[in-house]
Amino acid sequence: MAEILVVAEHRQQKLADITLQMLSKGSQLADQSGAELLAVVIGKNVDIYAQELARWADRVIIFKKDELEGSLAEPSQMMLSSIIKQRRPKLVLIGHSSFGMDLAPSLAIELGVPVITDCIDVTIVSDNITVTRSIYNGKLNAVYTFVPSETVIVTGRVGEFEVKERNLRGQIEEIDYTMQENIEYKKFEGYIEQKIGIVDITQADIVVSIGRGIKEKENIEIAQELAELLGGVVACSRPIVDYGWLPSEYQVGLSGKTVTPKLYLALGISGAFQHVVGLKGSNMVIAINKDPRAPIFNIADYGVVDDIYKVVPALIQKIRELKD
Amino acid sequence: MDVVVCIKRVPDTADVVEIDASGNDIETDGLAFKINDWDEYALEAAVQLTEKQGGSIIAITVGPKEWDDVLRRALAIGADRAIRIDQDMVTADCYAVAKVLEALIRNLSYDLVLFGAQSEDFGSAQLGVMVAELLGIPHASLVVSLQVDQTTARIKRELEAGTLEAYAVELPALLTIQTGINQPRYISMAGIKRAMSKELQVISLSDLDLTQETLSPTVMLEKLELPPKDKKAELISGSPEESAEQLARILQNSGIF
Amino acid sequence: MTLTSYKYADTIHRCFRCGYCKFPTNWADVNNCPAYARFRMETYSCGGRLWLIRAWLSNEIEWTDHLAKIMYTCTACKNCEEKCPLRFNVDIMNMITAVKGEMVERGLIPSQVKDFLENIQRQGNPYGKARAKRGEWTEGIEIPKYKGQDFLYYVGCVGSYDTRAQETARTLGKVLTKAGVSFGVLGGEENCDGNEVNALGEETLFEMMAEENVTQFKELGVQKIVTLSPHSYNTFKNDYPLHDGNFEVFHYTQALRDLIQGERLDVSRGLNTRVAYHDPCFLGRWNGEYDAPRMILNAIPGIELVELEKNRAGALCCGGGGGNFYTDFLGGSESSPARIRAREAYDTGANILAVACPNCMTMLEDAVKAEGLEDKIDVKDISEIVVEATGIA
Repeated sequence: MAEILVVAEHRQQKLADITLQMLSKGSQLADQSGAELLAVVIGKNVDIYAQELARWADRVIIFKKDELEGSLAEPSQMMLSSIIKQRRPKLVLIGHSSFGMDLAPSLAIELGVPVITDCIDVTIVSDNITVTRSIYNGKLNAVYTFVPSETVIVTGRVGEFEVKERNLRGQIEEIDYTMQENIEYKKFEGYIEQKIGIVDITQADIVVSIGRGIKEKENIEIAQELAELLGGVVACSRPIVDYGWLPSEYQVGLSGKTVTPKLYLALGISGAFQHVVGLKGSNMVIAINKDPRAPIFNIADYGVVDDIYKVVPALIQKIRELKD
Repeated sequence: MDVVVCIKRVPDTADVVEIDASGNDIETDGLAFKINDWDEYALEAAVQLTEKQGGSIIAITVGPKEWDDVLRRALAIGADRAIRIDQDMVTADCYAVAKVLEALIRNLSYDLVLFGAQSEDFGSAQLGVMVAELLGIPHASLVVSLQVDQTTARIKRELEAGTLEAYAVELPALLTIQTGINQPRYISMAGIKRAMSKELQVISLSDLDLTQETLSPTVMLEKLELPPKDKKAELISGSPEESAEQLARILQNSGIF
Repeated sequence: MTLTSYKYADTIHRCFRCGYCKFPTNWADVNNCPAYARFRMETYSCGGRLWLIRAWLSNEIEWTDHLAKIMYTCTACKNCEEKCPLRFNVDIMNMITAVKGEMVERGLIPSQVKDFLENIQRQGNPYGKARAKRGEWTEGIEIPKYKGQDFLYYVGCVGSYDTRAQETARTLGKVLTKAGVSFGVLGGEENCDGNEVNALGEETLFEMMAEENVTQFKELGVQKIVTLSPHSYNTFKNDYPLHDGNFEVFHYTQALRDLIQGERLDVSRGLNTRVAYHDPCFLGRWNGEYDAPRMILNAIPGIELVELEKNRAGALCCGGGGGNFYTDFLGGSESSPARIRAREAYDTGANILAVACPNCMTMLEDAVKAEGLEDKIDVKDISEIVVEATGIA
């Protein structure tokens, strides 16, 4: 029977969100195409994930080894290469995460199979796999198919696929695999966690977030004023951290924090997906941006197409008036 | 410290991007082009390394004649010489481009190969890692911190949620560089002019013993389409004061204050 | 990073630290250097900057981001040159431009200045908006394309892309048409004049831009140019001859003055209002034109022209020069020069603050709003006042 293989990613005793998303998508595709779903997990103490993965997949393969630390792209590549050559799944699903970026292209080359990364949709119609990617910063979509190949690799965009719980009773298999070589050439030297500074934006109910439209470090003050007035915190998108105007603990997004406030106010933020993925859980999103085509307006509840320097001072004033 | 930096020429994504008549490419008329943002960080990283430790930088790209301008820019930023493989591969798949680049790089002497983590146009984040595997050298992607000595690159790469992981990678190695690792310097027009005297070599596929067949695709781009608008924000219009008033009321009614 | 070469190394020490560079011609206050008015620290005055340059040159200080920022807060308004009592005063502004040039060469410039220059390199305007959209300001009106008419009406980047300034550009076009002037615009084919690029120290880029424009103008047979912006006027008149571009250049206020005096423009319909006129630096101090705009306003029946306390050679810069209309280093405070100027205008009791420059327009209009004075005083371009006085639709 045809197989769809999902590579499970994990950290700190938890399966990554993206893995649950890929498992959901994988299950859907498996159902649609009459295939079986296989989940593979590699690392230190990964047996703790076995039961959970067995609820998602028809089969779970565990490879556990004490020495495995860090993002595990290299040992995963070795082990997956062997499994894939053996089992020949028609589709391999990996998250387009930091782990997936280090692993998937390299695995594809080693196996000599096609790979398409960062997909926002995957469909299988009569055995033909079609994927959609978002390109030009969200302005266009591109639809791809594969040149016929026994196995293809697809990596999925974080936050794009809905998680739909399942309750299977998959078979769990722990295998032993002798690593062909020790990975001396890339030695893991530890994690560096984000310092929890004075501010933990993930706990805030109200977030006033600034992007490139703020133009100047000194202008962050106006966002701070608004945040204070509403009893919230200031946050930002990546460019602000790249410029060195705010420390990285204020960054919302893929490489930053995920926030779930009651209100997310996006000031001068374009809405690139890497940022947006960090605020999707917000109750209400309001965006102010000069550019009517900014993708932020596709996810905001309310939008104002205007200059933040004209609207925000007026907003601060109105709020003060209404409060009195 | 000899560094090879691979760069790409991309359209300015601030511009409007339209699908052309063929349906699987974009309309390039009237678009401004530039060097890929991530590649600027990679070039700046390379220049900072060689400024400290000596060595040379070669900038390479695969593209038609128009792509000379990004190589000139790389030379102005500080690359010592540049090589363009004369082949239009914008719509080719990453694997084909990786093969072409590998064919060139394997004949160069290098301690480090740098790529930008992804490109502004297609953003696959595949090419660098593919080239590393083809070259048979260690790789690390999304590098946000880099320190190099004779034998090892000590890097930090980006995970999710602000966490980083540290690795010691044996040279020669390939790294893909993430934005924010440094502040790319401004390149003045005078700098670009001075760089005109630096060597820019153009070679062909046959110089690399490659033929069109080697470049046969593994994936097919079927079409480009406009993304569906999944949600429309309720747009508030009026003067800034009027918008502010409406917003303030929305916030008040939602119990925000 | 040390400053190893500097054009004015042998005269940089001559600043006497007298502080005159901060005063207006009538000694009304000590805040006539716009950056000093904003920050109230000596480093932000011309003298302060000169001493910092000297310190950098002699290795007493190192380059930092902050030093670059201080240099780039200079809006090139020339108040310092106007007031400095020493013989080397003709060079003092150029000294600051020269150090900006050194920073540009080393890539040591603030990120906003980098963006400004890269946007111009890439899209031909500092906003980074698509080059293809440069001609869009002409939509909706009848305005002739330049094909060898008497005058090239040159608009510039602010007039082409800023929504408020676009209105001014169109209005001036209407006035010129009404007066029967033979003129045309370049629309989408127009290229940035480079005045700000020059003021920001990117000499080589400026040279390239000037040469391209000179070539284009010559090919089109341009002989006379009338500009919307004093910035364009300044560079076409004073810099372009050094690049083989010898044209007869007028600022539009000079043209309108001639048209009114020559009775080709009838302003007799008049306008009953009190107007204060703000002298733009690139028309006034840079090029000595203080009278043409005033003659226009005085010629309109019903207009009561009042003078701002600091006027003519002593005018306070709006803070929009030296790229600051984009980089906004002097913004974000009630001490921003534009806001000070808005308050000064309000104090005269004027209903209209008249400007003759699109940069001044955007800076002062924003300032009037920031001061909460938008119901009390209107910022209008002289062309807009003329259009009302002539009754042109």
